[in-house]
Amino acid sequence: MTGPHGVGIGWRPEIAGFVADLPGLRFVEVIAEAVPSAGPVPDGLVELRKRGVTVVPHGVRLSLGGAEPVEPARVAHLAAVAELLAAPLVSEHIAFVRAGGMEAGHLLPLPRSREAVDVVCANVARAQSELPVPIALEPIAALFDWPDDELDEAAFLGEILDRTDALLLLDIANVHANTRNRGTDPVALLDRLPLERIAYLHVAGGAEHGGFYHDTHTDPVPPPVLDLLAELCARQRPPAVLLERDGHYPPAAELRAELDAVAAASGFPAVT
Amino acid sequence: MTGLAADFDTWGVPSRTFLILYLVAAVVLVTGVLIHRRALLAGRSAPPADQLSPQQVAYLNGGADLAVWTSLSVLRSQGSIGVQPDRRLTTEGPLPSGATPLDRAVHYAAAQHTPARQLSSTEWVDRALTELRDGLDQRGLLIGANRRAALRLGPLLLAALELLGVFRIIAGLANGRPVWYLVLVVIGLAVVTTLLFVRVPRRTRAADAALRTLRPRNRHLSPASNPAYAVYGATGLAMAVALYGTASLWAMDPAFAQQAEIVRQPLTGGGGGYTGGSSCSSGTTAGAGCGSSCGGGGGGGCGGGCGG
Repeated sequence: MTGPHGVGIGWRPEIAGFVADLPGLRFVEVIAEAVPSAGPVPDGLVELRKRGVTVVPHGVRLSLGGAEPVEPARVAHLAAVAELLAAPLVSEHIAFVRAGGMEAGHLLPLPRSREAVDVVCANVARAQSELPVPIALEPIAALFDWPDDELDEAAFLGEILDRTDALLLLDIANVHANTRNRGTDPVALLDRLPLERIAYLHVAGGAEHGGFYHDTHTDPVPPPVLDLLAELCARQRPPAVLLERDGHYPPAAELRAELDAVAAASGFPAVT
Repeated sequence: MTGLAADFDTWGVPSRTFLILYLVAAVVLVTGVLIHRRALLAGRSAPPADQLSPQQVAYLNGGADLAVWTSLSVLRSQGSIGVQPDRRLTTEGPLPSGATPLDRAVHYAAAQHTPARQLSSTEWVDRALTELRDGLDQRGLLIGANRRAALRLGPLLLAALELLGVFRIIAGLANGRPVWYLVLVVIGLAVVTTLLFVRVPRRTRAADAALRTLRPRNRHLSPASNPAYAVYGATGLAMAVALYGTASLWAMDPAFAQQAEIVRQPLTGGGGGYTGGSSCSSGTTAGAGCGSSCGGGGGGGCGGGCGG
C-alpha cells in the first residue's frame, strides 16, 4: 500500500486501454462513485492493481461543505471502495453538491466564512472516523467569490487542513483559473499554501472563453498551467501529479505528449 | 442362436457373433473418425492471436459481413468514404495508407455508389473476401472446402458400415432371426453419423482460442466501456468492430451508420464493473444527467468535466 507517486492519469473506462498500455505508470485515480461498493472492480483497474499501480478513489458526491451532516451511506461507499482497491488514501472536494435535498449536479463553492470552516471540519471529522485511510481535500475552482467572505483562499484552506489534519489535493489548473479570473498572482498564492501537506496534484486542461479561463478537462493543458506546475515543483515537489482528462479525448500520441509534458514540468520520469 | 440353429444363421454368421463384431467395428470406426476430426479441427499451424489483422479477426468472429463492416468503419473513420442522401456510399477521400485488399475493394465499390448492405455481393468485394477466407483457411483458422471434404470422409465410412447393418437386418428379417439389438445399434450409429456430417464448425479450435485470447485483451474496446475511439485510432476501431460488431460503428458515427443503413449487430459485449451512474463517467455524451463537474474556474458546464 504505497502512496501515489510520480505522474498518474485519471482512469476512465473510455481510455482504459490507453492507460493499461502506459509502461511506467504507478498511480491512477478513479471516480469513487463509479465503482460499485460491493464490486466488481472494473477489469482495467484489477489489471492495474495486479501490476502494483496505486489506485486512489476520488469522491465527487460527499458534499463535505453541505450544511447537513455528510451522509453515512456515502462515506461507507467511499470506505468500501478504498478497501476494494487497497487504496492508501481517498480524496474529496471542499464543496457542496446538494442543499435542502436538492442535488446541484455540480461542485459548488462555499462562502469562505468561519462558519463554513466549522461545517467542513465537522463533516471531514465524521468522514475520517469511518474511513480506513487518510483523506486528501481538494479546494475547487470558483468563478465568483461570495460577498461575505471573511477569509482569503489560503487562510480558509489552511484553517481546514490544520483543524482536520487532512492532506491536501491541490489542482494546479484551478489555481491558475482562480488567479487568472480574479487577476491575482498565482505564485503568491502558492507561497501561502501548506505545500508540504500535498498528497498529490491535479493538472487538467482548459480554455479561454469570453475573457475567463474555463477548467474544462476536455482541452489540452495550456503552457501557463505547466509553468505554474514547474514553479510549484521547484519550491516543494509533491509526491505525485495526476493528469485529469474527462472527454474530447485526443489520439493516443497527443495524450502521451500531455503526460510527457506534465512529467517534464514536474521533474518526474516519463510514464509513457 | 444355438448350434442347432446354425444352418439358419444369416450369411453363416450367428446373430450374436455378428452383433459383437459389428459393435466392435462401430466403436473402432467412430473412435477413428473422432480422432481424425479432432486433428482436422485443431488448426495446429495457426499463427498466434496477436498476428491476426482486425479483418481476419472479424471474418473468424462474424464471417464475411463483419469483415466488410470492419473495413467500412475504418475507411469511414479515416474520412475515405461517406454516404449520399440516397443512402448509397460514396468516396470522400483517398485510401488511407496501409489499406488492405478488402479496403481497396470497399473503397472502389463506394466510388461506384454501392449501398452498404450490398457491398459483399459486388464482384470486387466478393473477390477480396474470397482472398481473405482462403488465407485464413491456409493458416489453419477457417474450415475451407478441402478440410470440409476431409471431415465428411469419416461420416461416409460410417454410412457404409450402416448400410452393411441395414442389409444384415433385411436378411435377418427374411430369415426370421432376431434383429432388434442390431436395429438399435444401427439407429445409434445413424445419429452419430448425421451429427458428424452436419455439424462441421466454421473455424478451427485454434481460431476459437485466438478469439478467446483477444476478447479479454480488448475489453476496453467493447461498447459497454464507451471507448474513446479517437484515442485508439483506426486499428482500435477496427478491432472493436471485429470483436463487438457494428455497435461500435453506431457509437462512433451514428449519423453515417443510420444513413448508410448499417445493420445494428451487437455481438457478445461484456465490459463490466464500471457503473458510471452517479458521476459523469462519460466524456462523449456530455449533458444529460452528468452528475458532477470539475467545479472549474469557469464552471465549464457539464462538458465532461468531472472529478476535478
